[in-house]
Amino acid sequence: MSETPADHDDADTGTTAEPDENGLFERYSTRALVAGVTIVSVVALLLAGLLFPDSLAGTLADTLTSRNTLAAALRLSVPIAFAALGGIFAEKAGVINIGLEGLLIISAFSAIYVADITGGVWIGFAGGVVASTLLAALFAVVTIGFRADQIIAGLAVWLIALGLAPFASQVIYGSPNTPTVATSPSINVPVLADIPFFGALFSASPSVYMLFAAVLGSWYVFERTAFGRWIRASGENPKALDTAGVSVTHVRYAAVLISGVLAGMGGAALSLDLGQFTGNGPTMVNGKGFIAIVAYLFGNYNPVGAFLSTMLFAGLDAVQTVLQIQGVGIPRQLIRITPFVVVIVVLALVGRTRLPEAAGEHYDTEE
Amino acid sequence: MSAFDRARDALDRLVDASASERILISTAALVLSILIGAVLVLVAGRMTTCTAGEAVYYFGTGFCYDPVVVFDRLFLGALGDPFSGNWSPNGQFAVTLRETTVLIFTGLSVALAFRAGIFNIGTQGQMVVGALATALGVLWASSLVSGALGTVVLIPFGLFVGAVFGGLYGAVPGLLKAYADANEVITTIMLNFIATGVALYLVSGVFKDPESAANQTVPLPEFAQFPALLFGARQDFSIVALGFGLLALAALYYVLEHTSFGYDVRTSGVQPEAAEYGGVDAKRTVVASLTLSGALGGIAGAMYVMMILGTFQTGIPSYGFDGITVSILAGNNPLGVGIAALLFGVLKSGTTVVQFATDVPPQLVGVLRGLIILFVAMPEFFRLAARRVPGAGSRPEAVATDGGTVTESGGETDE
Repeated sequence: MSETPADHDDADTGTTAEPDENGLFERYSTRALVAGVTIVSVVALLLAGLLFPDSLAGTLADTLTSRNTLAAALRLSVPIAFAALGGIFAEKAGVINIGLEGLLIISAFSAIYVADITGGVWIGFAGGVVASTLLAALFAVVTIGFRADQIIAGLAVWLIALGLAPFASQVIYGSPNTPTVATSPSINVPVLADIPFFGALFSASPSVYMLFAAVLGSWYVFERTAFGRWIRASGENPKALDTAGVSVTHVRYAAVLISGVLAGMGGAALSLDLGQFTGNGPTMVNGKGFIAIVAYLFGNYNPVGAFLSTMLFAGLDAVQTVLQIQGVGIPRQLIRITPFVVVIVVLALVGRTRLPEAAGEHYDTEE
Repeated sequence: MSAFDRARDALDRLVDASASERILISTAALVLSILIGAVLVLVAGRMTTCTAGEAVYYFGTGFCYDPVVVFDRLFLGALGDPFSGNWSPNGQFAVTLRETTVLIFTGLSVALAFRAGIFNIGTQGQMVVGALATALGVLWASSLVSGALGTVVLIPFGLFVGAVFGGLYGAVPGLLKAYADANEVITTIMLNFIATGVALYLVSGVFKDPESAANQTVPLPEFAQFPALLFGARQDFSIVALGFGLLALAALYYVLEHTSFGYDVRTSGVQPEAAEYGGVDAKRTVVASLTLSGALGGIAGAMYVMMILGTFQTGIPSYGFDGITVSILAGNNPLGVGIAALLFGVLKSGTTVVQFATDVPPQLVGVLRGLIILFVAMPEFFRLAARRVPGAGSRPEAVATDGGTVTESGGETDE
């Protein structure tokens, strides 16, 4: 338990005072509070909607219980949740990957580009994953190999992708937006897809099923495999891992590459789902990588928790999209910023998230 | 050794070790980024199509874009072609200085926060808020005064309004960090999105100029804008504004190096625990530095409105993000910010020249920005490279210096 000097993101200092168990319990209760408040307000809203179907509450309740909303929330959560899973791998291993946004951008563009030149959606998907993994590899070399500051290098990854993707699109297609490519049809599970509301879970694009698999897979890796334990140790107590004869460097490289693969799947799914990459302004990714970071912080580094908190943000986004279309009197531009406001509120309520002990620090093998 | 001494020691070490080395690293990062940019231009030139007459030939292969022309236009073009014989201060050179002026403020904004150990990614949002507040505040005040007196009164007033609103917007992540432990990297990025969204709402609605198709506020009268002295009015550059910028550089340098507040800020950045142990109120320092940082961002917005645009329009260029690069390149030193801002002013102003002269997409500069940050962040890379060069290996290992913060490796080197 050493002091961590000059810890600019500050989130992991000061945790030395209390035993981890206590801290966990405290945070657990804040999370429970947030979850409780969410559930209570949703129930209240549904009741109000039932009583006054013509009011704003009625519209909101309709929207919330609509199968389309669930379908939209699932679709919107795909890139965020994939990126969040990737972020968990990297950060648990001790590398804060703030460049997730960049990984999403580069894979979203590459997926469309490869799909466009090969004509295959799945080849495009693979292309996006490869591009993102390569950028993640660069990030890994820079932070692990050359000991760069993780936050600054992560920012660089974001800014490079933010420039490179529209640059490439402009060079190749003469516009920051690509032309559209074919999309893959959604998969319907017979019978189950006909269930009201929850049927949306069984009639979704392939990427949604891949997300389910990735969430469960990540959970399994962390909870049940040796590799999962190594990752945890690499972030919490690299010295112990080193003593046990496992290379901290290798584990960290692997974790960052996995984060590249997962974020790449998210980015590829994002653009291939629409069949187009749009690169104006903050590009089509538009902050999803940063929301992913908040999602896994709020989900306490648990893959399932991260997925659920992603569904909270994506659900909000889905509801706001529907509200924009219906025009409920709240200006469109203001509805659009609700997810960002919620992120800040959640972050303020959850407060100090306990980062892995050695996150953000470089580890030197003592030879 | 008391915590206070230790903090001072760490500080001295950082300053000593880095001054010359940091200049070397920044220069090397810049050169390397340009080289990679050149390769990128060549590769891009292979991926696009052009007629045989337009192509240039290197190594026996034809390329559609010529990196030499690109970088010639980018740098010499931005300086108004000093070697062409008919250089005039009214050309592109004035645009470069204009961009430099705004970048000085965003760069200082980021640098100040960095020195306090805080990542303020939110300068862009603080600039948007400051710009909008200035546009509306000065517009309102311009009905009360006019003429030369108006200029003398309104410009300081506009800068003040921008600073206040930018500062308040910067205080938000400061308070969230100090009292709710919310990570400022995330909150400031979110606040950028929120600022842009709310500004769009206001400017497309209540505050929209009814006579304009664009989402903008009613333009300020001429006397409420920075006067164009010495330079032509067409480039929207004012030497007065640049003067304010240089004044701000000197003032921030003085505050950081020679006042007790500056000492608090610097020690909090280098050794937060030691600083607190030595009597620095950490929470107050966080809020104060982010507020001041936001105020500088807000002034950048005010400059943009009162010098360049004369109104607030949605879609403010990414001066705030460029400020991050400027600050990192300058090693977060206020005086270095001046040089780095000039360099980035060249890049920004050169971009438009490149756009006129070639077909290379202007996003190239965005890529360069990212590459520069990446390379400056990895001093170790250059040290290793230097060691490979014969005769250069005798240099003593320096403290790891990155964007101005010391990262002592893990917990194994200290007590």
